[in-house]
Amino acid sequence: MNGAQHILETFHRHNIQTVFGYPGGCIMPLYDALVDDVNVEHVLCRHEQGCALAADGYARASGKLGVCIATSGPGATNLITGVANAHRDSTPMLVITGQVPSSLIGTDAFQETDVLGMTLGIVKHSYLVESADELPVILDEAIELAQSGRPGPVWIDIPKDVLLAETAVAPIGRSRLREAVCPDLASAIAMLRTARKPLLYSGGGISLAHAEESFRYFAESSGLPAVVTLKGIGNPGKHSAHNLGMLGMHGSRAANRAVDECDLLLVIGARLDDRATGKLEGFAPNARLIHIDADAAEMNKLLNAKLAIRGDLNAILKELTLTFREAPLEISEWRRQCQTWRTTGGFQAADNEEPLAPITGPAFIRQLSRIAPDDTTIACDVGQHQMWIAQHYQFDHPRHHLTSGGLGTMGFGLPAAIGAQFARPDSTVLNVTGDGSFMMNAQEMATIRRYNLPVKLIIMDNQCLGMVRQQQELFYNNRESQINLDDNPDFVAMARAFDIPALKIERTDQVRRGIETILAYHGPMLLHVAIARDENVWPIVKPGGSNKEMIDETRRNTADKKEKVA
Amino acid sequence: MTTENGNNAPNYTITCRMNHEAAALERLCQVVRIRGFRIAKMAVETTDGVLDIALTVQGTRPVTMLQSQLEKLHTVAEVLLTTPVLAPAASRTA
Repeated sequence: MNGAQHILETFHRHNIQTVFGYPGGCIMPLYDALVDDVNVEHVLCRHEQGCALAADGYARASGKLGVCIATSGPGATNLITGVANAHRDSTPMLVITGQVPSSLIGTDAFQETDVLGMTLGIVKHSYLVESADELPVILDEAIELAQSGRPGPVWIDIPKDVLLAETAVAPIGRSRLREAVCPDLASAIAMLRTARKPLLYSGGGISLAHAEESFRYFAESSGLPAVVTLKGIGNPGKHSAHNLGMLGMHGSRAANRAVDECDLLLVIGARLDDRATGKLEGFAPNARLIHIDADAAEMNKLLNAKLAIRGDLNAILKELTLTFREAPLEISEWRRQCQTWRTTGGFQAADNEEPLAPITGPAFIRQLSRIAPDDTTIACDVGQHQMWIAQHYQFDHPRHHLTSGGLGTMGFGLPAAIGAQFARPDSTVLNVTGDGSFMMNAQEMATIRRYNLPVKLIIMDNQCLGMVRQQQELFYNNRESQINLDDNPDFVAMARAFDIPALKIERTDQVRRGIETILAYHGPMLLHVAIARDENVWPIVKPGGSNKEMIDETRRNTADKKEKVA
Repeated sequence: MTTENGNNAPNYTITCRMNHEAAALERLCQVVRIRGFRIAKMAVETTDGVLDIALTVQGTRPVTMLQSQLEKLHTVAEVLLTTPVLAPAASRTA
């Protein structure tokens, strides 16, 4: 068995059935081995960035390992944005690249780049395989490492001669992974019992730990008022009575208010990112902090916790659930207060009532949320539409909401939706995108067509880079700079060129029919939604500002529009 | 303590043991830089596939943050901070 065949054998053993890749010179031995393999489905994307982001979307939607493959040089460099995206959001991913033959490394050979060196900062770990005998052990270790503790991408760079070399070495299942610390929760429970205004703050770590169910039980048994980060959306479920929604820069007034007022903040599976906390000096000023996470390096990184607990979130949440089920917290007054804020300080958006009025982003998303099936997966891109999805779509599970949180990668959504559809072939998968983001990986429409994936594409087109325009308006004296996209291509014609049917809507009375049409269609379809250019995402906290200083002109805008319509 | 550039960033001494794999030292040095420190002195010894590194780093950020990031590297077996740290780690206590 040669190195390339070992890779496929390892895939079989680890039940890896779907990989995303693009062939080329130095990775050719692996593609040659794939010819004789019937167990691994290789998905050919049209750009290596598409491969990496599709693998990321596959991993997020399924909870399994995402795998992407590319050749050396430009193949590897094209993967980088996708791998950085996975790294920032802790997506479990295995990256395999071909490298020039060992004897040519360091000679500036054709398609040679120092992949190991240039990717050190965006991987959980990486390897340059020096002999075929090392390969089986490295593969097993990489697959385990990518998915353990705080997950992340692990990159294996393999010279072509290693892929071709015969080896009889079998994997030995050696594990150098450190044991998780078993935490003592007595102090955390005591602090929760004595708090008058405790608040639950959860993030993407819940689903990364496969702790969605444990979290739901804990949230219900404790009855703690709860806020979520962008990546924690869906943790409490759409029917939770205690969920105050997303906090932070575009968070709800209710969530930010509760953080401001709470006397204990229980942070689980979150890293206190600046987009969530705003200026740290003004964040949770009255609260003691309990920080529970899988990653010890997140403890006391930005805020000193009164109590920091590293461990397996699933086990911790189960133990906490038992405690609070037996003896519930007595915080009814605080719960009532949070309920009031929830009623008055949730995300506001007027549904358009005037049939001929232009479509607005929030109203469109609210309508989509009402019509789409419960198990719909939405892969969004980056910008205003991403925040409108976060604010106005009701998600019942965190794996239904695929969003590029840490890196903020425009172009994430379309390939991520492809990956998600492979992970969940029987579910509705939507890519909700903006006109800017869509053009960053539009070539992947060819992948949708090739595999006949029923992914639905929704472009919310305001003919500009809306989030940049909004910040230029609010914080740069309305000096618009390089945001105009009014020369966008005809998206309907573009989709049709890829043999994907498409339709365009531009008035409020067309929204319901447009959404129903694409959802009912059996194959891929694109809905081009022309929306108002100057709509802003409200509320907003000025970058670097405190969450207390939210700007919210929702009501004023709504009143203005009503006046105009009248 | 004053650096040769005239900065008032404090010095810390760290010893680190890690596997001698490809890019091991680069990985370590990159974490030091990204987490806000600069290397003032570095000594490396190799024994049986293990690297023992003595580092003197300068920086104004909490050095325990650097320590925890170095400990996170898969190839790092041990990080010891040999300079006593008196100040609390992060910027604010909650």
